[in-house]
Amino acid sequence: MRTDNIKELEILAQKSRQNVLRMIRANGSGHLGPAYSCIDIVTALYFHGMDIDPKNPKKADRDIFLLSAGHKGMAQYAVLAEAGFFEKSILDTFGQFQSPIPGHPDMHKLSGIEANTGSLGHGLNLACGIALAKKQDGLKSRVFVITGDGELAEGSNWEAAAVAAHYGLDNLVLFVDRNGLQISGQTKDVMSFEPVADHFEGFGWMTKEIVGNDMKEIVSAIDAVPFEKGKPNLVVANTVKGKGFSKAENQVDYHYWKPSTEDMALAEKELAAKIAELEK
Amino acid sequence: MKYEMFDAKKIIGEVTLQEADANPNIVVVSTDSAPRTGMAGFIAKYPDRYYELGIMEQSAIGVSSGFATAGKVPVFCAPAPFVTARPFEMFKIDIGYMQQNVKAIGRNCGFNYSDLGPTHYGLEDIALVRLIPGVTVLAPIDASQLRGAMRTMLRHGGPVYLRIGTAPIHKIFDEEAFVIGEGKVVREGKDVAIVTTGEIAVNVFEAAETLAAQGINAMVVTMPTISPLDEAIIRKAAEATGRIVVVEEHYEVGGLGTAVCETCAKIAPVPVKRLGVPHVYLSAGPYDDLVKYCKLDSAGIVETVKAFIAQENS
Repeated sequence: MRTDNIKELEILAQKSRQNVLRMIRANGSGHLGPAYSCIDIVTALYFHGMDIDPKNPKKADRDIFLLSAGHKGMAQYAVLAEAGFFEKSILDTFGQFQSPIPGHPDMHKLSGIEANTGSLGHGLNLACGIALAKKQDGLKSRVFVITGDGELAEGSNWEAAAVAAHYGLDNLVLFVDRNGLQISGQTKDVMSFEPVADHFEGFGWMTKEIVGNDMKEIVSAIDAVPFEKGKPNLVVANTVKGKGFSKAENQVDYHYWKPSTEDMALAEKELAAKIAELEK
Repeated sequence: MKYEMFDAKKIIGEVTLQEADANPNIVVVSTDSAPRTGMAGFIAKYPDRYYELGIMEQSAIGVSSGFATAGKVPVFCAPAPFVTARPFEMFKIDIGYMQQNVKAIGRNCGFNYSDLGPTHYGLEDIALVRLIPGVTVLAPIDASQLRGAMRTMLRHGGPVYLRIGTAPIHKIFDEEAFVIGEGKVVREGKDVAIVTTGEIAVNVFEAAETLAAQGINAMVVTMPTISPLDEAIIRKAAEATGRIVVVEEHYEVGGLGTAVCETCAKIAPVPVKRLGVPHVYLSAGPYDDLVKYCKLDSAGIVETVKAFIAQENS
């Protein structure tokens, strides 16, 4: 399933966006904006960057993905479904009681989920523990984490930033999904951690800044890991919240979306057109 | 002194080291809390399995959980408030909700740090961790039981919180074998049952002897496991005596006393008197003064039990 082909990855990302719409259709609502801003990165990780096997999801030397920003969970479900971790019909259970794909991921309910996230500021510390253990065991596994940019206000992230640098965790890769928006407005106005890269560099990380919805740039950043031996890796991914649905892009109101029938139809139509264009 | 005394920190370190010899997955996570508190032997022998994080408790819980994801058995030991209250939400999610094989030890619990005051008291740790589904809560009674509980905990699969004071603790029992979830009747009696947990139990044993000399036969039940609670033994104590006094070095709110009340309300409705630490911010001072103030010394326990029986009989 792994591919280096950018166009194939772009198509997979759009198909994953279709899976997100399928979940929202099933539930009537969902975190569209956050899922769409990071879904290109998640796609690239599962289909290009990570050593994983949907048929053997717990193999010891696998790479591990933690979606620290658990409210972007639909992005991970969408990609896991596309990668064959579970039947796509499960997408239709989104929002139902005891669904294996709850609003925030639950490792005990779905193969491929590695942590119970949703409360912000947890993923990076978990990742440090995993990365330390993998190094101790001499395994080549890498740990990839996605946090939001608003999430950086959680102080626990900065504890983890120090741990990762102190222990030289070059097998740890953090993507900050920097879409610039959070519930109350622009992240820079709510609580600024700009410039994000400088903060992490101050702790001793190596950083790259990319357009986080550009598949070529994402792949190139993943391929460059480790950016420097002995240092943790940060990718500041400048993304567009809601990327992939014209009405949602850069709109705070689409953080959590309860679509009208017309808007859902429009979102589906736009995606179908993009996929047709890419498949030409 | 009637009993031989042992350093709890030393026991924690010794057992961790012994178990680590047999289990290469055991690692120690420290928040500036391990080297001088019993783990020096482990650190000297296994420097690559010791992870110092500095004074960083939120991270310590998350990092420990990450270790568990990778198949390690992390042991994180620090003063009780900094293992439970400070990083509570991490404990709840990263250990509890994720059901990770993490061994968290809250030392210096109760008002062991009596000279420092409420910032360093561990008087709500049982209440906090007991609230988290699926986390085992242990409070060994004496040095032997601490040794056994440590061993059992490190071999047990699943999240465990163990609380212990770190002043010298008594060796009361010879028996080290420890079974999670089992309470024990250590003294039979029919007039009242005294249920207790942790090292404060030594005062209960003394109080029971004093009460016996005054014609009051107290059953004494030790509960070194608080979650899951041995409900059968609580029922037995309730049915045998008709009244229960719970003694613990923890707030009267939320601890073993509360757990016993919940059990009695459910399956054995008898009057319960909770004798713990009053729900206030206690001043700092000498440990023995605080114990006496809270009536957790043997004289205070005797007085409380007698008053409870008198009130019940009036």
